[in-house]
Amino acid sequence: MKVSELWLQEWIRPALSRDKVCERMTMAGLEIESVTPVAVPLAKVIVGKVTHVKKLPDTDRLSLCEVDVGRGAPLSIVCGADNVKPGVRVPTATEGAVLPNNITIKKSQIRGVFSEGMLCSAYDLGMAEKSEGLIIFPDDAPLGAEVWDYLQLNDTVIDVSITPNRGDCLSVMGLANEISALTQTKVTAPDIQAVKATLSDTLPVVLQAPQKCSHYVGRIIKNVKADAMTPIWMQERLRRSGQRSISPVVDVMNYVMLELGQPMHAFDLATISNGIHVRTANESEKLALLDGQTVELTLDTLVIADNQKPLAIAGVMGGLDSSVTLLTKDIFLESAYFQSQTIAHTSRSYHLNSESSYRFERGVDSTLQVKAIERATELLLKIVGGEPGPVIDVTEKNYLPTIKPIHLREARVKVILGMKIAASEIENIFTRLGFHFEKTTDGWNVTATPARSDISLEVDLIEEIIRVYGADRVPTVNSAYAMKIHPLSAKKLPLATLRHTLSNLGYQEIVTYTFVDKKTQLLLNPSHDPKPLLNPITADMDVMRTNLWPGLVKTLIYNLNRQQNRIRLFESGLRFVPQGTTLLQERVLSGLISGPAFPPQWGIASRQSDFFDLKGDLQVLLNLTFAKEEFTFKSGVHPALHPGQTAEIFRNEKSVGFIGGLHPTVLQMLSLPQPVFVFEVALELIEDAHQPKAIEVSKFPEIRRDIAIFVDRSVPVEAISGTIKRSAGEWLQEVNVFDVYQGKGVPENQKSIALSLTLQHASRTLVDDEVVKLVERVIVALKDDFAAELRK
Amino acid sequence: MDNLDHLLKSATKEITNAEDLKSLDYYRVHYLGKKGVLTESLKSLGQLPPEERPAMGQKVNVIKTQIQTLIEEREALLQQNQIATQLAKESIDVTLSGRMQSMGSIHPVTQTRERIENLFRQMGFVTKDGPEVEDEHHNFEALNIPDTHPARAMQDTFYFEDKTLLRTHTSPVQIRYMKNTKPPIRMIAMGRVYRRDFDLTHTPMFHQVEGLMVEEGVSFADLRSTLTQFLHAFFEAELPIRFRSSYFPFTEPSAEVDMGCVACSQKGCRICKNTGWLEVLGCGMVHPNVFKFVDIDSEKYTGWAFGAGLDRLTMLRYGMTDLRALFENDVRFLGQF
Repeated sequence: MKVSELWLQEWIRPALSRDKVCERMTMAGLEIESVTPVAVPLAKVIVGKVTHVKKLPDTDRLSLCEVDVGRGAPLSIVCGADNVKPGVRVPTATEGAVLPNNITIKKSQIRGVFSEGMLCSAYDLGMAEKSEGLIIFPDDAPLGAEVWDYLQLNDTVIDVSITPNRGDCLSVMGLANEISALTQTKVTAPDIQAVKATLSDTLPVVLQAPQKCSHYVGRIIKNVKADAMTPIWMQERLRRSGQRSISPVVDVMNYVMLELGQPMHAFDLATISNGIHVRTANESEKLALLDGQTVELTLDTLVIADNQKPLAIAGVMGGLDSSVTLLTKDIFLESAYFQSQTIAHTSRSYHLNSESSYRFERGVDSTLQVKAIERATELLLKIVGGEPGPVIDVTEKNYLPTIKPIHLREARVKVILGMKIAASEIENIFTRLGFHFEKTTDGWNVTATPARSDISLEVDLIEEIIRVYGADRVPTVNSAYAMKIHPLSAKKLPLATLRHTLSNLGYQEIVTYTFVDKKTQLLLNPSHDPKPLLNPITADMDVMRTNLWPGLVKTLIYNLNRQQNRIRLFESGLRFVPQGTTLLQERVLSGLISGPAFPPQWGIASRQSDFFDLKGDLQVLLNLTFAKEEFTFKSGVHPALHPGQTAEIFRNEKSVGFIGGLHPTVLQMLSLPQPVFVFEVALELIEDAHQPKAIEVSKFPEIRRDIAIFVDRSVPVEAISGTIKRSAGEWLQEVNVFDVYQGKGVPENQKSIALSLTLQHASRTLVDDEVVKLVERVIVALKDDFAAELRK
Repeated sequence: MDNLDHLLKSATKEITNAEDLKSLDYYRVHYLGKKGVLTESLKSLGQLPPEERPAMGQKVNVIKTQIQTLIEEREALLQQNQIATQLAKESIDVTLSGRMQSMGSIHPVTQTRERIENLFRQMGFVTKDGPEVEDEHHNFEALNIPDTHPARAMQDTFYFEDKTLLRTHTSPVQIRYMKNTKPPIRMIAMGRVYRRDFDLTHTPMFHQVEGLMVEEGVSFADLRSTLTQFLHAFFEAELPIRFRSSYFPFTEPSAEVDMGCVACSQKGCRICKNTGWLEVLGCGMVHPNVFKFVDIDSEKYTGWAFGAGLDRLTMLRYGMTDLRALFENDVRFLGQF
């Protein structure tokens, strides 16, 4: 909420400096966003009256004006503004004036014509971001007066950030009350008197939805001059609060709202047919709104209607047809109390936000309506004249918000705050806030002011106490808590361990958006239809990822475009896989490699990364579970992966993820110039770990035997190792493949595999004969299972 | 006798000229071996007249010792030379880089997460997480933000067709945890959160940390103490800290926590918008309505909660100025951490 300091000073003048007051407010929950001077100091810019305007020949828009500045001879000034015309009073920068953009005004020649000054727009005077023509003063603006004084430009705009619970502070009066409580200064409110009716005209008002509107105040004012001019001081106050001046009637409505916090509305009386009904909308009613759009009203929408038709959406926006125009003669003023939830709901469902709905949503004081209409009447009579009717005040008492006393226990204050605040101090705070209180045996019964609709619980009062007392004055005390040690299980592999291992293996962790481009997602995981967002922020972030590959691939492309061609990445996070009507949100770990296997260096020959580089690193991760025998990699099928370079990873019989090279078609679609290898595993399924059990290392010698065999190319090595393990028995410690070869010297469609068998007995030295027999057994088994031939 | 002198002379010459250990070994055998020259000389003593034998014998032994010493000296020298040659041959340029795989990196936000987790673990806090696609109940209602609450409009939310949404804060984790765990409770939750906002200082996805403590007798004074300690430990600096009253629907009383600017020591700079203060945390005492939703007796138990932006903490800690760099994942940027 932006407020002029001068306006605020009309209501309260604390003895503290502006900075101190701002600091008090900030610390008490009304954060000061900014304090901005209204204008930079100006001198020699005075009120002048344009008496003659003559177009300059051979120019588009320049005119030579004669300007009466109330003293001496009239000035000749060349002006380019569209709205310059004889009779207007405008800010006139005279010789020697320095404007905010550092222009010094001198007598000069423009297009061969003598110019003795400059007529100014709000922009020229540093009061606006852009120029919208000359500032036009009212006809009573005193000629020759300094504009700095006339416009009271020696003012600051204070922008206060108001939290949603403090609707009461969305007005000058509310802020004044708050400053009063914080600085213990009296509020000096302008005297608001009831305006005597000079007419007896009224309208019947019926509250048909009393739970949504329980208090409605109205008044007729006839014979107004709706085309009068809003006084400059009011225009300026509105402007400093961020509101444009529209027309005098509308300006007064806005002014009263800014001053007292009561949103108001004015109708053209001629458009109202015989009375006001505050009701919910009927079937298929439509309303053309002030912002130009026509809406179809839903049945739960609260409207202000006459006997025939809706006139306005209550508390949110007026209708176009019933609005006050410059031709309006008679007006009907509305000052009502609308229930906050109703307005919040309406504003949200129509996506309509107005200054009015903003305040009603946050709660308006239900006792303020008459005061506001009197204030508005007083101002209107001064500006547009007219004859007021009596105040129409319709109340549904049973539905008015009740202000009940709240019981506050003194002991509870200490429990919540952790410090004792003296009872006298607490009572002083309530007095400052204008809250009534009565002592009880254990504390107080406190009644908040009607403006503070946010206060309904004991803890609300405690918040008030600490807010005014100062949250920063509470000591920092550590109570003696009973500490307990939480279990730390070795049975779960922490994600942090996996992350750090990957980092040590050369992978960089990335964090990408979980909403991705649908096309890319379907390319990288065609088997799942990703969950679409209703309101994505951009079209290429429209669905939730079903795997992490889109983010990894996008990051790869981003970096390739920046000449980084050796990439190793990983990411962990949720993937969102729709399963019927439910959504599986699974924690996964994914990685990607592409480009050279090693950073360029002198000691290692350069080569491109391949499937086995990635697989090896993944194996290291899986081995951290101390359950490596539970994991198998089987040739698998994934639509985004190369059919000959895809493995599905299993833990026991359960699939835990995939690893493979991206399918050449996918690479092509993504314009990727080099092979890319990716993996993804479900963390839930891999993180179960075993605590290692110590087995004594045999002290007897290890024996190594190498065998080389020819087998069909399609036989997986994993199967060969399996057969070896089964047939070799318990002496076998390890099988290691140390060479795989196909080509020259190997029969067609076969491959040569060289394996080493490490043998050892737990309690004795193996003898040669036993070893020979074991190896023979293995060779026979390999022959049986795979028709393997021993390579001689 | 002359023969022996001559022998010594030529032996000395030969041994001192021996180029390598192999030729030296040859001379050792030649002079001192079982069939060597000197052994032969001793054998031939018998042919001498008996009175000459002792003197001759002594002389042979002296020469033998002399030759032995010569050989040993030469051997030591040659061995030394040989090692020197080997060393010279094997010397490398130690300034060349070692053979290596590259070192990866942990994302800076993750490092912040790990750091915070470690700090709070010391105080007995456990880390919890929850779903990111949430329902309105856990994200709003149970946190005392009913449908018509103005705060609901403040957080521009991503929705799905089935009325689920992307969580706008980590606070739903609080609700889920309190529903299943009875006090005493000490937990933190960290992770991705989402709001429809995309400009210089906002990304539609960002990270939060949430802390919650519920026990008998927990107060605002404890909250102050814990958060002050946390900020001091996190930034490794005793920066000034202030608690400003504020408003959150799920806590009361609520406060925002400002910390003296890390960049300018409160002199005022661009990072702190010339205020000297940085807003780093929001916090407060758990609202009784929130306790009601999770069936915790707010008369018996009190609790505090706090929330902070992990991205902001990360940026302040590492002196970053562009939030978006955290999500661009330029490997050269990430490689710094």
